[in-house]
Amino acid sequence: MEDPKEVTTVQAATTLISTIIGVGVLPLPLFAVRAGDTGAPFITLLGIGIAAFGLFVVTKLGLRHSDKTIITYSEDILGKWLGRFFSLFVIVFFSILTALAAREFGAVVITAVLLETPLEVTVIVMLLLAAISARNTMNTFAYIHNFYIPIILAPVLIIVALSLKNANFLYVRPFISSGLHDSFFGALTIAALFQGSFIMTLIIPSMKNPKSAMKAGWWAIFISGGLYLLLVLATVAIFGAEEIKRLYWPTLELARTTSLPGNILQRLDVIFISVWVIAVFTTIFASYFLTIHSVKQLFRLQDHKMLAYFMLPFIFILAMLPQNIVQLYDVIKIAGRAGLIVTILYPMLLYIIDAMKSKRRKKGESKQA
Amino acid sequence: MSLNKHRWRQILLLLIIMSLLTGCWDSREIEKRATILAIGIDNAEHNAKNEEDEVNHLKGANQIPNERMIELTVQMAIPGRIPLGPQIGAGDKSPVLVIQAVGHTIEDALLNIQQEVATEIFLGHLRLIILNEEVARAGVGRFTDYLRRNPQIRRTASLVISKEKASEYMNIKPELERVPSLYLAEMVDSLVQLGKFPPTFIGMFWSILSSKGQEPYLPYFKIKGKANIQINGLAYFKGDKMVGKTKPLQIGGFMAGIGAEKGGYALFIKIPDLEQAVLVRAVERKTRVKASMKNGKPHILLKVRYECEIEEVESVNPSNIKAEDLQILEKNFSSEATRALETLIVETQEVKSDIFGFGEHFRAKLPNYWNNQVKTKENWQDIYQNLAYDVEIKTKIRRTGMKAK
Repeated sequence: MEDPKEVTTVQAATTLISTIIGVGVLPLPLFAVRAGDTGAPFITLLGIGIAAFGLFVVTKLGLRHSDKTIITYSEDILGKWLGRFFSLFVIVFFSILTALAAREFGAVVITAVLLETPLEVTVIVMLLLAAISARNTMNTFAYIHNFYIPIILAPVLIIVALSLKNANFLYVRPFISSGLHDSFFGALTIAALFQGSFIMTLIIPSMKNPKSAMKAGWWAIFISGGLYLLLVLATVAIFGAEEIKRLYWPTLELARTTSLPGNILQRLDVIFISVWVIAVFTTIFASYFLTIHSVKQLFRLQDHKMLAYFMLPFIFILAMLPQNIVQLYDVIKIAGRAGLIVTILYPMLLYIIDAMKSKRRKKGESKQA
Repeated sequence: MSLNKHRWRQILLLLIIMSLLTGCWDSREIEKRATILAIGIDNAEHNAKNEEDEVNHLKGANQIPNERMIELTVQMAIPGRIPLGPQIGAGDKSPVLVIQAVGHTIEDALLNIQQEVATEIFLGHLRLIILNEEVARAGVGRFTDYLRRNPQIRRTASLVISKEKASEYMNIKPELERVPSLYLAEMVDSLVQLGKFPPTFIGMFWSILSSKGQEPYLPYFKIKGKANIQINGLAYFKGDKMVGKTKPLQIGGFMAGIGAEKGGYALFIKIPDLEQAVLVRAVERKTRVKASMKNGKPHILLKVRYECEIEEVESVNPSNIKAEDLQILEKNFSSEATRALETLIVETQEVKSDIFGFGEHFRAKLPNYWNNQVKTKENWQDIYQNLAYDVEIKTKIRRTGMKAK
């Protein structure tokens, strides 16, 4: 019944990277600047730190139960019913995350690119794509992510490199300009953009060599975090903190300000948007995949394929709930921070209980001997 | 049974194909767009309110803005008449259409124009926005909101100030290029490349306008002769209001102040012994700005290093420039440039317009001072007025051209 374990270390890392890099790329500099003014890169760094810690805990926990996911081993650790109860939260949260990502994607597309297209159409097309792709097995899932990674990374790097000629590095100084309170909450908002890394718990059981999961995790955080940091640094250096506060999607503006040398393309937002659609797809795909696999495991189902379509209407309705863009970003902020409880605090709790349990077991064994 | 199954499949296939072949909601053929290439904004006549058609609001409506009305002149591309690449002896029909309308805001005026044009207005190719000096002096902040909010507008479009009415620029017919607005936009770009003006585009203007320690600046255009346009100086702002303009040569001094690398302006320097005037042109410069506190007061030290070349020596007799002469030239160029820069600083200090962005240096490098004593843009404007500064300029002349004697 189980899939063959074929996911390699590189595939695990690329899956994580393309899952992490998603819709959040666009408002990222705005979130960072709101919390830290010119210290936005520093806030981003803090956020990456928190995210890395979260991924570390999830991986460590996964390695202790390398055949199971968080849905199944939480039952071992917390007991059947308590484990299932918490698993429900994981499922609900990732449904919401999928829905919000799809909705944010739709919001950007109808404001910036396709002004006549109805919001519902952009959202449902994206969700449908994710649902169809989510019918695949874990190995295909990893292949798809691996395939898209160069297309996601390269254009962003090119845009950053080309845009730097207008940079004014006075804008990123002083490096630390916000108080402890603001910095911490700002870092949490940034860390929330990394929540896709929770997919690690699903990858580990399918890995050829689960021991190298930790290595894959570090690489993933290093590359995606590095890209985020670079983006924040570039946008702040080009627009300045004060200007960024007036823009919803500073990264998109960065692409609009950048032109290819020699007037081949006078604005790069067209390229950026098409790349970004892929990045958003991989993210929604991953969280959708995680959601239906969690449901499958929770209810001990044999197959996840039918679930893919079954979940679609629920997620679509969730995506349509926010009334406008202002409300949407309020919801995203709250959901993001609340999600950290699910993706970092909950695994931490599991880990502590698990560690204590095995210690006690060891003690008991040595006493018996 | 199996036939039924097949039919069911066929219907499904048809449905899928139908949903996939619907095409794009936003598709619009290029000739169905009214592509606006340039916009000129002037103040409207005082009685414009009465002449306004009731397109966006009825007369006497009480929710309309109180600011003075504007007159918007747009240059619209006529489909099929924009030449792709150089053409010789193309028809004498104008490739652009000029339309004018009044309104309370940009969008208000654009909607008035839309009412007269059959195709949908498209701003994605807008290259140039010209603001009349009077409008700029009253404040440009009222226009920035629309331009930032509209996703079609490019951040790389140019924004310039004009001495004459902006509508005159829309009607001008330059000989060098078929499309007038493209010529004007190219002009801004190439002047930046020639070192005649620091890099400028609307996105940069906004960034500087938003920043706390710098005031924005824009190129200032003037019509010369029948169809020529000259960069006649640099318009400087305090907040969003234009407060003055420099002479064209002072742009060179300004570029030294902000550290623009490319030099483009030349000065006449006399060698005392030879009684000959030498035209020395700046090629490259490096600027270092040092912000510090002296006796509890902010102080700016500007260090500029010029690299120059000799372009022309005004002489009837053979001139022989020796190494010592070069040293004198270098020294005199330095003192001339220092004087030019200092005059500009004094002029901008009078109107509290820190176009050099010295405030940004204090904000970035001395955050304690900034957070305790400055904080806002307004405070910095007051401090800038009495800012102490020193200018140190060093010049090196590397090349003298092909002539030995």
